Amino acid sequence: MTDLTPLCALGAPEPRRTARGALSLTENPDLALASLALRAGGAQPAPFGLTLPGPGAFNASGEVLALWTGPGQWMLAAERSPDADFAAELRAQAPGCSITEQTGGWCCVEIASATGAAPLDRLLEKLVNLPPAALCPGRAARTGLHHLSVFVIRRSTDRLAVLGMSSAAGSLWHALDAAALRLESFA
Amino acid sequence: MTRISGGLIDRSRTLSFTFEGKRYEGHPGDTLASALMANGVRLVGRSFKYHRPRGIFAAGSEEPNALVTLRSGARAEPNTRATTIELYDGLEAVSQNRWPSLAFDALGVNDLASPFFAAGFYYKTFMWPKAFWEKLYEPLIRRAAGLGALGGEPDPDAYDKGFLHCDLLIIGGGATGLAAALTAGRAGASVILADEDMRLGGRLLMESHALNDAPAVDWVQGIEAELESLPNVRILRRTTIFGSFDHGIFGALERVGDHLLRPETVRQTLWRITAKRSILAAGATERHIPFASNDRPGILLGGALRAYVNRWGVTPQAKDSDRIAIFTDNDDGHRTAIDLVAKGIPVLAVIDAREDAQRLGEYQLYKGATVTGTQGRLGLSSIDITQNGLTRTLECAVLGVSGGWNPNLHLASHHRGRPVWSQAHSAFLPPEDLPQGMAVAGAAAGHGSTHAALRSGAQIAAQLSECKPAELPLAEDAPHRQTPLWHVPGKTRAWVDFQNDVTVKDIALAHRENMRPVEHLKRWTTLGMATDQGKTANVTALAVMAELTGKTIAQTGTTIFRPPYTPVALGALGGGDSGVHFRPTRLTPTHPFAVQRGAPFVEVGQWLRAQYFPLKGETHWRESVDREVLAVRSGVGLCDVTTLGKIDVQGTDAGDFLNRIYCNAMASLKVGKVRYGLMLREDGFAYDDGTCARLGEQHYVVTTTTANAGLVYRQMEFARQCLWPDLDVQLISTTDAWAQIAVAGPKSRELLSRVVEADLSNEAFPFMACAETRVCGLRARLFRISFSGELAYEIAVPTRYGNALMARLMEVGADLGVTPYGTEALGVLRIEKGHATGAELNGQASAQMLGMGRMVSTKKDSIGAVMSRREGLMADTRRLVGLMPQDPQARILAGGHLFAPEAERKTETDLGWVTSACWSPHLNSYIALGFLTDGEARLGETVIVANPLEGDEAPCKIVSPHFIDPEGGRLRD
Repeated sequence: MTDLTPLCALGAPEPRRTARGALSLTENPDLALASLALRAGGAQPAPFGLTLPGPGAFNASGEVLALWTGPGQWMLAAERSPDADFAAELRAQAPGCSITEQTGGWCCVEIASATGAAPLDRLLEKLVNLPPAALCPGRAARTGLHHLSVFVIRRSTDRLAVLGMSSAAGSLWHALDAAALRLESFA
Repeated sequence: MTRISGGLIDRSRTLSFTFEGKRYEGHPGDTLASALMANGVRLVGRSFKYHRPRGIFAAGSEEPNALVTLRSGARAEPNTRATTIELYDGLEAVSQNRWPSLAFDALGVNDLASPFFAAGFYYKTFMWPKAFWEKLYEPLIRRAAGLGALGGEPDPDAYDKGFLHCDLLIIGGGATGLAAALTAGRAGASVILADEDMRLGGRLLMESHALNDAPAVDWVQGIEAELESLPNVRILRRTTIFGSFDHGIFGALERVGDHLLRPETVRQTLWRITAKRSILAAGATERHIPFASNDRPGILLGGALRAYVNRWGVTPQAKDSDRIAIFTDNDDGHRTAIDLVAKGIPVLAVIDAREDAQRLGEYQLYKGATVTGTQGRLGLSSIDITQNGLTRTLECAVLGVSGGWNPNLHLASHHRGRPVWSQAHSAFLPPEDLPQGMAVAGAAAGHGSTHAALRSGAQIAAQLSECKPAELPLAEDAPHRQTPLWHVPGKTRAWVDFQNDVTVKDIALAHRENMRPVEHLKRWTTLGMATDQGKTANVTALAVMAELTGKTIAQTGTTIFRPPYTPVALGALGGGDSGVHFRPTRLTPTHPFAVQRGAPFVEVGQWLRAQYFPLKGETHWRESVDREVLAVRSGVGLCDVTTLGKIDVQGTDAGDFLNRIYCNAMASLKVGKVRYGLMLREDGFAYDDGTCARLGEQHYVVTTTTANAGLVYRQMEFARQCLWPDLDVQLISTTDAWAQIAVAGPKSRELLSRVVEADLSNEAFPFMACAETRVCGLRARLFRISFSGELAYEIAVPTRYGNALMARLMEVGADLGVTPYGTEALGVLRIEKGHATGAELNGQASAQMLGMGRMVSTKKDSIGAVMSRREGLMADTRRLVGLMPQDPQARILAGGHLFAPEAERKTETDLGWVTSACWSPHLNSYIALGFLTDGEARLGETVIVANPLEGDEAPCKIVSPHFIDPEGGRLRD
């Protein structure tokens, strides 16, 4: 157990949150991440009992979520305290795979709509160049947003998570917040 | 006041606006043009070159004349077409290009000097003497030319961007577009219907004819309601599709808030639309017929005149009794007269150039006649009609001119498809090689009658959507009857391009001067190069040129159409992010620590890095930097080095893979060790350098320079996926996952031993060792590597703890004099040590030049190894050397060139250049690194560092690039 105090990706001890009309944006700091890549010829594991999803999809079970990131590659996310060694946990769950610690590498912003899917759909078309079907509930994508490489996870009709690199968390937040702000009249 | 009955304006509400500071009133549904017309304002602007009085000429986005500056202050928007500005309460507009006033413009004198301003005037007049260009000609031209001006203040409005996807994009919401949208929409296709106007309907809103025996507007509203109810159809009003790009991508500008006094959210949205198929249903633009003095206020397009009467319930007359004449070469001109008569407006006559013209309504017809002159200082008062050689002058306040219709095929030609001339249509039709997935329908394809337009839209949409065409209303289907008249010959100037003041005479002059190909004609005369891109002028101009050359119009051809179709504000193209948000910024984990200590920041790629950490009382940046450097050399310093790229490499073939990536061997690296590595480009030049740490048998971590982090990762991914897919290797960036802090200086071991839970003795953890360990109870990685040349470590912890670790190290190292240092001190330390960085690895340096020639292993192959041994590279004798000025205070700048003392300072005698330079507080002298021809052989000699731009020269001693501890004893201590 460390006695060092962690900061959230947006630079404060507490996660940032804001409300824009029907939309709320909340930084999610309790997300531990590790990447999983198959070795050549390696069998696909089922860490934490999860079936690793195919392209454009994610699978979630309990507190763990797996997201397809490339051929033979996934990102796994779990609710954990900031100093948890999730990579070690995953390594035990997926022996013979290449596992890499990613927890501090990403800033996760959870976006929720108080009025159903429409505000999120409108927001997404301002953010990412993907057809709506690519990000309907249950889908996820690795794509570009404000010149950043991001993961977008449509958790449900009214919930969305956007993960961008933590060093650019401020710019990611700006892009999401500005787009939500500009939609405010819609909500 | 010339409001008449009817129209699609809401007369129950009144809007107030000002033009030239004078207050007027209009109604919702008006454009600024229709509202000005309703208030009897005929003079709206001055022309570009001759400052001729100009009025409203068109009723849509093709308007060449009625350009105004809309709004004021920071929101001032110059060159805005009055015909496309929706009237709103509080609108302010002023005219442009006039002084002191619109009615009396001093530069109207240009008109008298018009013989001097003929085609090619700039090229002929301002070419020599050459020296006059910058100081005299250009400032003079800039002052005289141009229309409106920007406010000069930052744009206060917000813009945004977005991305839309559809099966079918329909460009244009007139009869054709509506029929197409209805057909495809009912079939379930995802449809986007875009129109630049505030409401759907296109020409249907401007014509008097009926659909199914009812006003066309009724049908439009019915269809609009149905389309609105379809979830698969999206209607974008006030949206111009301005460009057709590759792969079915279109640029669209939605004017979200331009019709409001202040935008509620954003002013404009830039959409990128990706469409599987598209239908260009952009309609057609009417041509005029050039004749003598055809540019006076009161002369406008016949179709526009009809539009003002039918849609806006207004005419350009000054008073109700003013007579209106029509000049035409086709039946459509007569339609205007019919509509005017029906509204009880006095029609002087229809002047039809065709000998066989037929009267189609109750008005006087002059057959085989032309308009050969006009009178009226600030507006039309009379016209000259010539028939059978006889000319008579008749009083007339308004003249509608109808020269036929040009299909709006611009977007169909954005991929360089050449329009095809159709004699039957007297117009260019869309090219055969259309952008992929595009079809053209309606008037844009030459199907100009309402019936033909509706049918064409429905049929093409049915074809594309594989369904039945929607049922269509009964509509007029008048045949196209025209005998084109391209201009009325005469001695007086007849305008072709109103906005750029190009006349028939200019075209004739271009012809005489052999500027005959259309591309030359365009540039010589500036035809079609104004903000309207010659929408009402281009075809007429090339027809005139064809007549002069004796070629057909088809042989003469057209210029290339390019985006944007209409002007797009740069603010919109920027997508809404400006200033600090123009591009993403990356912050280091210890950014809060650096902010708290008042560090200034420097941009390194996208990163902001602390430059130095000033202490109270320090008045100059170098005071801080010198202190930081000396603190590292004598005690211990801390620097955030997270920005260096970190790439995690795993797999059974990881070592083999890295052997091929680096020019030196990596597979032989032992677990728990770090090695310096150099990567080459395919051409053999040095690419990037860094360290490679082996954390496990099949696990390495590669570091790259900050600048090349993304590029190196990309290159490694390319190699993994494309060059050697057979290797078992997995890559992923971990740059952001770890906060990495350099702990450097002779007391670094002592400091780290206070927080690291491991034996740091030289025996247990020697130079170039690495380990996974724990620090302050947290998992961490420790590397014993040094950029400064001192005993040094780099310690990495999960990113979120980086700031706290920095604070902790400062706290526990207070008694050791621990000092944070920034990029400036980092630079000084590495120059003193002779370590290369981006300044040396600039793409022009080989491993040999860097003194690392022997690192390129001959025992294995790697990217660039073979090419690094090519003759030309091997023969290069330039080597990295150190330079010490004879006068220690003589400041050397990077970029200075090296010369032998006796040599003339010129390219041929240039011996190399200075790559990096700094003040070394340790040596109490300026020092530098540079590439010098025969560098190794010249050690101890003198070379001149010259800065010819500023005339500076400094004699320098050539020394080893390792100013500090060349044997490296400190590193290994």
